[in-house]
Amino acid sequence: MSDEEHHFESKADAGASKTFPQQAGTIRKNGYIVIKGRPCKVVEVSTSKTGKHGHAKCHFVAIDIFNGKKLEDIVPSSHNCDVPHVNRTDYQLIDISEDGFVSLLTENGNTKDDLKLPTDENLLNQIKSGFEEGKDLVVSVMSAMGEEQICALKDIGPKN
Amino acid sequence: MHQGYYQSMGAADMAQLQATMQAIELACNSIQMHTNPTAAEATLLSLSQSPRPYQACQFILENSQLPNARFQAAGAIRDAAIREWGFLEPNDRRGLISFCLCFIMKNANSPEGYVLVKVASVAAQLLKRGWLDFTAAEKEAFFHEVEQAVQGSHGLDVQFAGISFLESLVSEFSPSTSTAMGLPREFHEQCRISLEQDYMKAFYCWVQYAAFNVSDRIIGANSEIPEVKVCSAALRLMLQILNWDFRGKNSIENSKRGMDIFYDGMKQENDSLRRSECILVQPGPAWRDVLISSGHVGWLLNFYTALRQKFSCEGYWLDCPLAVSARKLIVQFCSLTGTIFPSDSGEMQRQHLLQMLAGIVQWIEPPDAVSKAIKSGKSESELLDGCRALMSMATVTTPLVFDELLKSLRPYGTITLLSALMCEVIKDLMENRTEEETWSWVARDILLDTWTTLLMQLDASGHKHSLPPEGISAAANLFALIVESELRAASASAFNDEDEYDYLQASIAAMDERLSSYALIARAAVGATIPLLKELFSERIMRLHQGRGTSDPTETLEELYSLLLITGHVLADEGQGETPLVPKEIESHYSNVTEVDKHPVIVLSGSIIRFAEESLDPELRRYFFSPRLMEAVVWFLARWSSTYLMPPGESGENKGGYENYNNTQHLRGQTTNALVSFFGENDQGKAVLDVIIRISLSTLVSYPGEKDLQALTCCQLLHGLVKQKNIICHLVTLDSWRDLATAFTNERVLFSLNAAHQRSLAQTLAVSASGMKTSEASNQYIKSLTSHMTSALVELSSKNDLKAIAQQPDIILLVSCLLERLRGVARASEPRTQKAIYEMGFLVMNPVLIFLQAYKDESVVVYLLLKFVTDWVDGQIIYLEAQETAAVVDFSMRLLQLYSSNNIGKISVSLSNSLRSEADAEKYKDLRALLQLLSNLCSKDLVDFASEPIETYGTNISQVVYTGLHIVTPLITMDLLKYPKLCHSYFSLLSHMLEVYPEIIAQLNVEACSHILGTLDFGLHHQDIEVVDLCLRALRALASHHYKDRGDGKVGLGSHATSYKDADGKFHEGILGQFLRSLLRLLLFEDYSTDLVSSGADALLPLILCEQSVYQNLANELIERQVNQTFRSRLTNAFQSLITSNNLSSTLDRMNYQRFRKNLLSFLIEVRGFLRTV
Repeated sequence: MSDEEHHFESKADAGASKTFPQQAGTIRKNGYIVIKGRPCKVVEVSTSKTGKHGHAKCHFVAIDIFNGKKLEDIVPSSHNCDVPHVNRTDYQLIDISEDGFVSLLTENGNTKDDLKLPTDENLLNQIKSGFEEGKDLVVSVMSAMGEEQICALKDIGPKN
Repeated sequence: MHQGYYQSMGAADMAQLQATMQAIELACNSIQMHTNPTAAEATLLSLSQSPRPYQACQFILENSQLPNARFQAAGAIRDAAIREWGFLEPNDRRGLISFCLCFIMKNANSPEGYVLVKVASVAAQLLKRGWLDFTAAEKEAFFHEVEQAVQGSHGLDVQFAGISFLESLVSEFSPSTSTAMGLPREFHEQCRISLEQDYMKAFYCWVQYAAFNVSDRIIGANSEIPEVKVCSAALRLMLQILNWDFRGKNSIENSKRGMDIFYDGMKQENDSLRRSECILVQPGPAWRDVLISSGHVGWLLNFYTALRQKFSCEGYWLDCPLAVSARKLIVQFCSLTGTIFPSDSGEMQRQHLLQMLAGIVQWIEPPDAVSKAIKSGKSESELLDGCRALMSMATVTTPLVFDELLKSLRPYGTITLLSALMCEVIKDLMENRTEEETWSWVARDILLDTWTTLLMQLDASGHKHSLPPEGISAAANLFALIVESELRAASASAFNDEDEYDYLQASIAAMDERLSSYALIARAAVGATIPLLKELFSERIMRLHQGRGTSDPTETLEELYSLLLITGHVLADEGQGETPLVPKEIESHYSNVTEVDKHPVIVLSGSIIRFAEESLDPELRRYFFSPRLMEAVVWFLARWSSTYLMPPGESGENKGGYENYNNTQHLRGQTTNALVSFFGENDQGKAVLDVIIRISLSTLVSYPGEKDLQALTCCQLLHGLVKQKNIICHLVTLDSWRDLATAFTNERVLFSLNAAHQRSLAQTLAVSASGMKTSEASNQYIKSLTSHMTSALVELSSKNDLKAIAQQPDIILLVSCLLERLRGVARASEPRTQKAIYEMGFLVMNPVLIFLQAYKDESVVVYLLLKFVTDWVDGQIIYLEAQETAAVVDFSMRLLQLYSSNNIGKISVSLSNSLRSEADAEKYKDLRALLQLLSNLCSKDLVDFASEPIETYGTNISQVVYTGLHIVTPLITMDLLKYPKLCHSYFSLLSHMLEVYPEIIAQLNVEACSHILGTLDFGLHHQDIEVVDLCLRALRALASHHYKDRGDGKVGLGSHATSYKDADGKFHEGILGQFLRSLLRLLLFEDYSTDLVSSGADALLPLILCEQSVYQNLANELIERQVNQTFRSRLTNAFQSLITSNNLSSTLDRMNYQRFRKNLLSFLIEVRGFLRTV
């Protein structure tokens, strides 16, 4: 049993960091975690002991936030896990190109053209049909550990 | 006779019947072969739904070669007859029943038993349907036939058929097993009472006679004979009748009061179930001659004894159906009680039980031989049934009578036998420790229940009674053996890896129950058992210290774990929200011990507390105090301290008032004794409290990530301490408590506590503020406790780069932690600390909105924010002054608007199904929190402690809440309403609003109004009865408001309620008209529980009064549609009498509502049957 805790103090420039260490016991359901190098969202946490009089360990079941695959991990609850820095940014949709890429308007007025349309049927249809109807659409882009994906859409509508 | 009937029909009809039969047979075959099941089902359904299918069904029953077709035909008779009962001729009704009865008698020897059972149950159901209309002579005629059959005058097969018909009948008339017939509960209740009064005893006598007659032949025969089947059926029916929930004479008077009787009955059942699992048999004095004085019991016992001799014969064995039924009946007779015995101070009951015990004792004595026989392969059923019989006897007698019973047969008492029996069972458990449920598991549970039943009675009768000395030593022996077995089990399982977490949780609950029973046994022999525990405990601690560093302590740790749990149960009760007292047995047994160091309870408690204190030493902690052992220690301290630590009323200074003082004095007698005062506030109490706090702090800091341990510390130990006023005032003076508060604000380790524990700890610390001497001090304490949190949040929210850093995991963790803590403090709102807690919330109002925007995609944080606000408003709202209210209301509205603008029209997707449903669940939780927030705001209108009316600052709560609802409802999709809790919160809020402020609806615009009413219509068709009921209440409120307002010449619901034609000439019906239509359709055509009829009536009456012409049109529409003339006139009359009979007037008072409820009920019974099918 270790009485002294190792603490990670985040530095001022930590904003650039892709992951942060966090004690396994504090990660809860619906939080994020890195398992096998992938950023995941936790869908289930359970605790058990290593032997009756041993220490607690956490059992995580999590879903990869980009590809939807299920991953699992077991970590002693006083140890640290990596937690991904998941960011979401809203952009206004300006164009959809024929090869499946979208053109987005950034906050400072530039365009961002390196994102593909999402693969999800529902979202894809909503974006396409909304765009064709000439609605003002805002898409949410989720990014973590160097990957990006469109994850949500909001219709801010033709202003009346 | 029936054959002749068919012959007299035309050939065309005959061909028709043949064709129907073939169609049904084909359908049955295709269902069995699974070729075209939907079409086949449709064919079968069309038979039972066609008008008057009786002739065809009877034809099939008599002529079809296919048993399945006969089965279906019987079912079709049942469905059609129940539906059409109201307009069948009395002759037809009787004809159907006698047809069924004749059928079973005639075909009694048929090999397809299931067809007979089905036909018998159809006969029973139809008989019940007409029960209240048939004259006594008509019933007599049916039963004459049955009686003849049961007496055996038509042979064994018919006898068996008669008995099984009675079996169906009795279960049909018993409320818990009856079939629904679309009739009110009162009907079932009246049938039940009538059967009990007039027939039950006769049935019993018939089968008793039948069993008696065949029993001699069975005893005489050397192999299985057909009589066995009849005899076991007869015994089964007797058992079923004894299981009947007898009500006796007074139930008739009750039934006149109407529905109440039913709730009455439910309550009784619950009570008796809680006490034990055995059902009491209380048939009342009328049964004395049959059951007691007739020598029936003697016959039964002799019959079984004779049967035991035959177990070696072919066809008979210990578990053959006949033996099983006989034993069950015997066990049932052991729980006979109540007014069937005369008031002769229990003499006759004692005789009865003695007779039973003499028979049963052969099954369980001598215990060691019986157990040995079972181990070598004998069936355990006799032993188990014997245990059950003891359990029943323990339930119906007092412990002393119970013990005496056996003394007239043996040199020792029943309790000694019970103890010996249980020792054998425990020994077997120790030898074979398997995961499977063995006989000894089952026996242990039954016997433990028996002990519990006996000892709970002692407990309830006050401390003057205790077991006889022989019983006490039997209990002491048993407890010693139990502890030995538990300890052995503990050390054997010490190295098991516990992977199955769920299984563990379930077994902990079961274990807790078991331990409470053990504790009762231990307390029955306190004098021996507490020293025993002390000795075992010291032994283990010594072993631990001696082996330190040299041997693996795991086994000893596990034994200590068990010992702590057992000792905790023996010494103290669970409070369940109340302050538990020192158990009476312990109190009275040691009332004259004055020397502290010789008081066994003090010695035992002291040694455990000293052991616990060793956990503060880091080195010892590492050696001995594993997280699991620490869990037991903390659990023990929590349980122990709520009973023994500074108990209220112990000192001269009295907080409970004079009366309370007297009570406690009375209870304790002169025993303001050594035990109570030793741990009191003037002696060791404070020191022990200090130790406990230091142990708590150390478990929170030194066991990182051990959630279970932290949960016990925060939610049980600390939470329990601050619940007691007398402890709190000492708590806040302790340095250790200040250390805990400082650690809470400063120690980083405590930020890694689980969220719920974080919250609970904050709440606990805030609650302790009430222990301060002055209210200024309390508020100051809260301020210093919370200032670090509020300032951290304010500072963070005002950072320029918030948007960039907000998503960092460490920042998210920090914000969540702080919010959890604030929420914990908010939940500790009390009048005394209200000011400080209001200020805390006021300071973070702005940051909350900023975070809500910054974290709009981080559902976890959003939920926390909403929950914090909800809890804070909940604790504050009623105390707020007008100005503060205005600020809070304004803040809440901004919060709602911001949440809505972030979420409305948003489509999130995810590749993973589980994440998607997760996201839905999150949304649902958010909305539920928002609805709670609105409900909390609502309460300001009901309870308000402000010094001036809130309207001074222009706040109108009802308007605010409607605006809130208007913001929230668009977010609630029909899909989300599938979450039962959200659905409930939404509809209770809505119906509350409509009931209290119906006038606001008139002020809403068309869009808002139609959305709200749209959901109301949705809720009306919901599956959940409560939701429908809420909607009906809302409707009633709306309609009666409109009606009354119009009566006074006011606008009522204004334009919403009026019908009009729009510019295109399209007709728009007013909302009340729409609801009238929708409600009437619901009541007439859809499925719903009969419980809803009265609230349906309450909503329907004002709707009809508001919209008389719409009602007339609807009625005409329905009447026009009816082709059949008879139905047509019935329907016309029914609609007429719905609004006229019982002197219904056009006012909305209580009497009138009641009359209309009656009208609606008879209306529905009259017309629903044919309207729904035709």
